Amino acid sequence: MNFLSPTGLWIAAGLTLPPLIALYFLKLRRTVQLVPSTLLWKKAIEDLHVNAPFQRLRSSLLLLLQLIVVILGALALGQPMLQSTKTFEDTVILLVDQSASMGVVEPDGRTRLEQAKEQAKRQIDNLREGARAMVIAFSDRASVVASFDSDRAALKRKIDEIEPTQRSTSLAQAISLAEAYAQIDLLGGEEGGADRAPESSAPPATLFLLTDGRIADAERVAVQRSDAANIRVIRVGSRGDNVGIVAMDARRNFERPTFLEAAATVQNFQPAPVTVDAVLYINGRSVDVQTVSLAAASGDGLAEGAPSPDAATPGDVAVAAFDHVEFEGGGVVEVVLRVDDALPADDRAWTVLGEPRSLRVLLVTPFNWFLEWALSSMNLHLTVMKPEEYEHAPDSAVLDGARSAYDVVILDRHSTSRLPPGNYFFWGGVPRIDGVAPGPVLDNEIITNWDETHPILRHVAVETMNVLQWLRLELPGDAVSLIDGESSPVLAYLARGGRQFLISAFSLVHEDEQGRLLSNTDWTAGVSFILFMQNAVYYLAGETTALGRHALRPGDVVTLRVPDRATELLIRRPDGRQDRLPVAGSETAHYGATDRVGAYHVSPAPPEGASFAVNLFDPEESNVAPADQVTLGAQRVAARAETVDVNRPAWRYVLLILLVILALEWIVYARRVFV
Amino acid sequence: MAREQEQSALLSPDFLTKLDQLSLVSRRIFAGRMRGERLTRRRGESVEFADYRNYVSGDDLRFLDWNIFARLERLFIKLFLQKEDLHVSILIDVSKSMDWGDPSKSLYARRIAAAIAYIGLVNFDRVSLYTFADGLHDQLAGVRGRRLMFKVIEFLERTACDGVSDLAAAGRQFALRHPQPGIVLVLSDFLDKGGYEGGLRFLLGRRYDLYVLQMLSPEEVEPTLIGDLKLTDVEDGDTTEVTVGRALVNRYKANLHAYCGGLRDFCARRGVNYLFTGTQVPFDQIILHYFKQRGLIA
Repeated sequence: MNFLSPTGLWIAAGLTLPPLIALYFLKLRRTVQLVPSTLLWKKAIEDLHVNAPFQRLRSSLLLLLQLIVVILGALALGQPMLQSTKTFEDTVILLVDQSASMGVVEPDGRTRLEQAKEQAKRQIDNLREGARAMVIAFSDRASVVASFDSDRAALKRKIDEIEPTQRSTSLAQAISLAEAYAQIDLLGGEEGGADRAPESSAPPATLFLLTDGRIADAERVAVQRSDAANIRVIRVGSRGDNVGIVAMDARRNFERPTFLEAAATVQNFQPAPVTVDAVLYINGRSVDVQTVSLAAASGDGLAEGAPSPDAATPGDVAVAAFDHVEFEGGGVVEVVLRVDDALPADDRAWTVLGEPRSLRVLLVTPFNWFLEWALSSMNLHLTVMKPEEYEHAPDSAVLDGARSAYDVVILDRHSTSRLPPGNYFFWGGVPRIDGVAPGPVLDNEIITNWDETHPILRHVAVETMNVLQWLRLELPGDAVSLIDGESSPVLAYLARGGRQFLISAFSLVHEDEQGRLLSNTDWTAGVSFILFMQNAVYYLAGETTALGRHALRPGDVVTLRVPDRATELLIRRPDGRQDRLPVAGSETAHYGATDRVGAYHVSPAPPEGASFAVNLFDPEESNVAPADQVTLGAQRVAARAETVDVNRPAWRYVLLILLVILALEWIVYARRVFV
Repeated sequence: MAREQEQSALLSPDFLTKLDQLSLVSRRIFAGRMRGERLTRRRGESVEFADYRNYVSGDDLRFLDWNIFARLERLFIKLFLQKEDLHVSILIDVSKSMDWGDPSKSLYARRIAAAIAYIGLVNFDRVSLYTFADGLHDQLAGVRGRRLMFKVIEFLERTACDGVSDLAAAGRQFALRHPQPGIVLVLSDFLDKGGYEGGLRFLLGRRYDLYVLQMLSPEEVEPTLIGDLKLTDVEDGDTTEVTVGRALVNRYKANLHAYCGGLRDFCARRGVNYLFTGTQVPFDQIILHYFKQRGLIA
């Protein structure tokens, strides 16, 4: 049991108990009265006791007052509420935003999430007797905190358990989850409920959305079974002053790998200009400071009559660039904004770089000038072999223990089954493994789609690329197509049994009937090809994956390659907690507890590096100014900023009346006028 | 102070005037239960013929009816009415509980006693007064004649209420000391924790002509007590804690009624004349009206 006001309790106890005890003693002191004989009185008392286990109710004012006192006491125990908000909902669903922006500490010292939780609990308090509520917490995913229940205490307890996250905001999943639960709940008790039309019978549940209004996908949310009238948005938060890092990249100088180039994109979301210091840390040691001046954000979109008031107001953006920073070895690169703003989570950004090393690359090709030229321009140890030399080379030449002796083996127009564990890049050929088969040559097809977010295709202008012909590829289902043709993948990635394959269905050159080498693509002419080769080689060698990981957002699942003979990965989170990940017998491990931003350290170190970084990098979350309106689908819902009126408990007043009547009773008793 | 007032009240001219009136209206003497009147003449002075009976040897020959013998040749004895003194004994309860009420039961009892004694004295009956509580306390035995009325008043004046009621002890002592028949009048509130039955049985055993007058003060009949009280018995100091409300008062009244009813039934079944009175009833009304009705006064 909770006492809402322990002080009041003590004061009330102090005020009432002593007089009560005094009354108790007073009652014991009877007036002495002489009578000629107690004979008949004794008999009368005995008769009363013997004859009547329940004496007839006497019309006694004292009794009446005492009854009122007892009734009032019972009333107070029942915790009566003063009804200031009438709620008629039978079914209420509370959607509590737990995204990163809800972590903003408001002027009253509490975070927005704490405010939202309090509002949610007030809503629970306002529930009608017997009404049921359900609580869903959402960020970029939604989870049911408490399914439908009418036990207010249990619901409030569950609400208290909602933890802040640093993830982005996405309402769609929460809405569909709520609607699904509401539907199940609506129909669950009826026979054949699942088959019934959703439009049937009972009124839809009322959704209370407790958020700061910064919902990235609000306009795309399809509210199906309930309409906007049943959705109330309760806005929390007021602060809008925030400066955040929305992007960061760090890489080695292309020519001098011991020097680092880092850039952090800083955005100002507050309506006042700001100057911040961006500090660069390498492995926790500050190495450089850049001062960034940002103009004021362009103000509230609504005030300017922008078509969508809820679109993130683009603030002023500047880049803090750090050049020529000495960077021996590998480690965690961190940029910190020296600023005291609403959201601390976006004031820091991390990137992890592995140690620089010279890759060993084997090129197996009959002859390919483009590849040799591209690879030789890169900073690596290149070995070139003919296909027949590769096939007949002794194990000592291509193997290092059981693994391939080379970081990457590039096979040009050569399909082979000599594939010790390692990384392979096929041009116009396929690995001879199960599930992969080359088909006929395809002519006159065009590239339709590509995954530009994949690290291998970063900065690669696929749209400018023309390829004359390529092989039709039959690939297993777990192959990832990076570039799609009309009927077959053009570039695909496949991991299988400790090997990685990057398979290009086309070769850069092909021989015509006369044995002349003809170019198969115009791609080799551009700088984009060099970039592609570098991306591909470093990705396969496990170097660029670390770069690629700077896209990790809180809550993302990280795929780690398991080091040889490791049975367990120990992952140390930014907050110091450690997770053990049993990995015995598997090639890859998946780690999902990436709720906090920061650098995560893995031991033993996977091939791609001992650390990875998780960053917020979400302008939508960094723009913490609460929205006045939330547009759900096509409907706008005004966000109520005021606090929810709660039905105030009335037991204090009841107790007050009780005290007054107690005093009255005492007076009446003392006077003994009325009986 | 209260006692002086009571005594003065007892001797008040008003009261004495009333006694004189009583003597006038009670010219006729006490009516007994025996056949014929109770005469107040001395033995042997009687000339009133009563009956005949067969002569048995040893009878006084002076009372033979010679005329009958002449006619019937059988010996008959003429019986004349026995002329004997009428003993009027008045037992007054002087236990502490009698000193209660307004007017007090004690004063009331003494007034009744004085009135009855006066009538008795006027009619030359032998009047005895006894006070009792937990036994016989004081007595004024065998006064006769109007001129001794002052003795009666004196006796009644010096009576003080004290002690616990014990009717049984008092009745036993009285019965032992007072074997001769006569009228016995008991004046008490009969609030005796030991019970009234024992005492009355002793008196009944002597075949007295028994009159019982129970008197209670109005405060006892209609109690005005209220609230949480610790009731203390004036006689034995016994205490009872009560919370007096209407229900308890009603219960008390019902009990009182039952108690008095029990006494009345007890007396009725044994041929005892019982009379209940509240002390607020004028005592002369009791004498003139009720005692006449009950046959104590002719």
